[in-house]
Amino acid sequence: MAVVPLFELRGISKEFPGVKALDDVSFEIRAGEVHMLVGENGAGKSTLMKILCGAYRADRGSFFNNGEPVTIHDSAAARKFGIAVIFQDFTLVPYLDIAKNIFLGREFPGRLPGFIDRHRIHAEAKRVLDMIGFDIDPRMSVHALGVAQQQMVEIAKALSQDARILVMDEPTAALSDRETELLFAMIARLKKNGVAIIYISHRLSEVFVLGDRITVLRDGRKIASLLPGETTPDQLVTLMVGRPVDTTYTRPSRPTPGEVALEVKNLSGPSGFSDVNLTVRAGEIVGLSGLVGSGRTEVARAIFGADRVTSGEIRLFGERIGGSVEDSTRRGMALIPENRKTQGLALARSVGDNIVLAGLRKLFPSGVFVPRRAMKAARAIIQKLRIATPTPRRPVATLSGGNQQKVVIGKWLNADARFFIFDEPTRGIDVGAKSEIFRLLDGLVHNGAAILMISSEQIEIVHICDRAYVMRSGRIAGELSHHELTEANIVRLGIHQ
Amino acid sequence: MSTHGFSLAALPIARVPGVAIVLVVLCAGFGLTSPGFATPANISNILTQSTILLLLALPMTLIIMTEGLDLSIGAVLTFASIVLAVTVIATGSPTLGFLAALAVGLCFGLGNGVLIAVFDIPPFITTLGTLGIAQGLSLLVTDGQSIVGIPRSIEQIYSGTAAGIPFPIIIAALAYFITHALLYHTRFGTYVFALGGNREALRVAGISVRGMLIRVYVFGGLMAGFAALLMTARLNSAHPTAGIGMEFDAIAAVAVGGTSFERGNGWLLGTLLGVIAVGVLRNGLNLLAVPSSVQVACIGALVIIALFIDGMRAER
Repeated sequence: MAVVPLFELRGISKEFPGVKALDDVSFEIRAGEVHMLVGENGAGKSTLMKILCGAYRADRGSFFNNGEPVTIHDSAAARKFGIAVIFQDFTLVPYLDIAKNIFLGREFPGRLPGFIDRHRIHAEAKRVLDMIGFDIDPRMSVHALGVAQQQMVEIAKALSQDARILVMDEPTAALSDRETELLFAMIARLKKNGVAIIYISHRLSEVFVLGDRITVLRDGRKIASLLPGETTPDQLVTLMVGRPVDTTYTRPSRPTPGEVALEVKNLSGPSGFSDVNLTVRAGEIVGLSGLVGSGRTEVARAIFGADRVTSGEIRLFGERIGGSVEDSTRRGMALIPENRKTQGLALARSVGDNIVLAGLRKLFPSGVFVPRRAMKAARAIIQKLRIATPTPRRPVATLSGGNQQKVVIGKWLNADARFFIFDEPTRGIDVGAKSEIFRLLDGLVHNGAAILMISSEQIEIVHICDRAYVMRSGRIAGELSHHELTEANIVRLGIHQ
Repeated sequence: MSTHGFSLAALPIARVPGVAIVLVVLCAGFGLTSPGFATPANISNILTQSTILLLLALPMTLIIMTEGLDLSIGAVLTFASIVLAVTVIATGSPTLGFLAALAVGLCFGLGNGVLIAVFDIPPFITTLGTLGIAQGLSLLVTDGQSIVGIPRSIEQIYSGTAAGIPFPIIIAALAYFITHALLYHTRFGTYVFALGGNREALRVAGISVRGMLIRVYVFGGLMAGFAALLMTARLNSAHPTAGIGMEFDAIAAVAVGGTSFERGNGWLLGTLLGVIAVGVLRNGLNLLAVPSSVQVACIGALVIIALFIDGMRAER
């Protein structure tokens, strides 16, 4: 006899003006399972989940709760069936304590009207936190917590509303390896308690470690529902993109390195790194690997002149640089930051405005902005990098992640940068666009640029870089030449001994 | 964050808020330079004079926590005070006068709240507008003159004492405890933190963001009405310029007290200390015969110094 699923969606279709977001998708979730939902950006994962939690209404399709037909027309109805979403953008209030956050909007009433029973809120919060094995004082203010801990609070909040089905959208995107482990341990505990989890992920390794079942969406259709044992990462990627693509782009050729572009000697700084030595030559892509928190980003920011250093020296193309961003960019350095939306782009402005931003001084030496010249420069970059936008006037916020990243890169190309630091260049970019970004990096070094690339995905470092440095606790733990560059070696150098 | 070596954060002083340091330094400074400063009479004087400011700074803290601002609060106080005086003189009933002042506060608070929450007009613009309206009405009603001839029973609210404690201090203490209970022990207060910290979280929880926002500004208006009572009693008259610049002192006190203008990061006790710091500064400078124009500049400097100390500690 077949198991009756905890909840089932059947034949869901949803259309937005001009786009068929979901086309006859069926999806079921059983108690105590982790159901992985995978697909490229725009495949319909988020739309499906928004329909499940009542944020959108389906055009067609039906819902079944424990086999009984039901309707979900708003989020209150979804909550009634125990469906809760752990949003990527947290719904936490920073300066309230953990307990008040968990019960926000559902405070236990106190003796006087309008008052709240703080003791009961704290006691109940403690109980929920214990349930997920999160040992923390519920009176702590949320702003003092790390991302992973905030996520735990978010999960506790969902469970306190008697959630039986948790939807997690890329929960590990901002977590370190250790925090990820804690999350996975908690997921295992929830499974044991019969909670069902729908887990959206771009990381194939997670899909196989965690998943009890995998559903693949592509272009709004369900392509496959399978067990992890039945498939391989390569097959899964083929299903996702619909054409065989090497998951990890391999560089076709590696030019012989030229002159030294960047030389860092004995660099130490107050942001938590010391005695860092590294070299990057023209025509090279050099990786900077290590665990999250090992000091990679801090070193990059210090090289770029964004953070203070206490000792050591930085030479760019043989000349000592002064430790200010202005000086670094004037001499041809560019930093493509980890967080494009807040640090790399002026989101509200157009593609064209963003592209010319870093090269304003070069384009308009007199200080007067000439719109026609700006448009021309922007168009040249759009063509060169094949940025998918009909016009430079389009707001950059409307572009996909991959194309936004190209705009950030284009910005610096326009400023004649010759040494690039990429901090997590493929974060939040789907598999297809990743290889295009890598091709772009390869193109840059072929034209004589030098690149220092930070990535948490070791496989990316292995496939893209000519060499790599591995950091551990703020120091360079070792350097791996091209033939030594393997995931195992990176991990070996990166972990604490 | 550095894990080794010398760190300012390791010193106990680093955990003392900037406003406390500023307050101690101010008291020590004035205590040494002017002999009249550290006397019981003067201290009681400082506290009594700070009460009106506290009544404005308490709701201002909540308003700023919602990432809002109320520039109209001083002008509303002025207009409420005038309406109070006119009503008392016309009817002879202090109770009616007081209720009229509260009604003025309520109307302006409600107006501010509705414009900001329902019509989405930025708080700065909204309250700048209502500041002008309240100020204009005050001048219109009084023709620029003071209103005198208020019965003595009103004046006693400011000058009277109970068990040796001046009435204004009792009223201010009551206001402080009520606001404290409101902010930390009620649903409303919990949502004030969320209004500035994460409005989306409130929406998802099914709470009306607009309703809560309106209540915050109504609270501000009502407190301005209360403050009008103290102000009228203190001056024993109503004057169309009496409350000019009070919003500056109130915002300064909140800022000195460490409430941030972002993300709902507020601290009510800090506001109390901030109000006292502003009061000490004004009183001390008065004793040193510093003109009031320079006093305003000093309050400005006080805000910057207190936030500078807080900023240094946060940076480590």
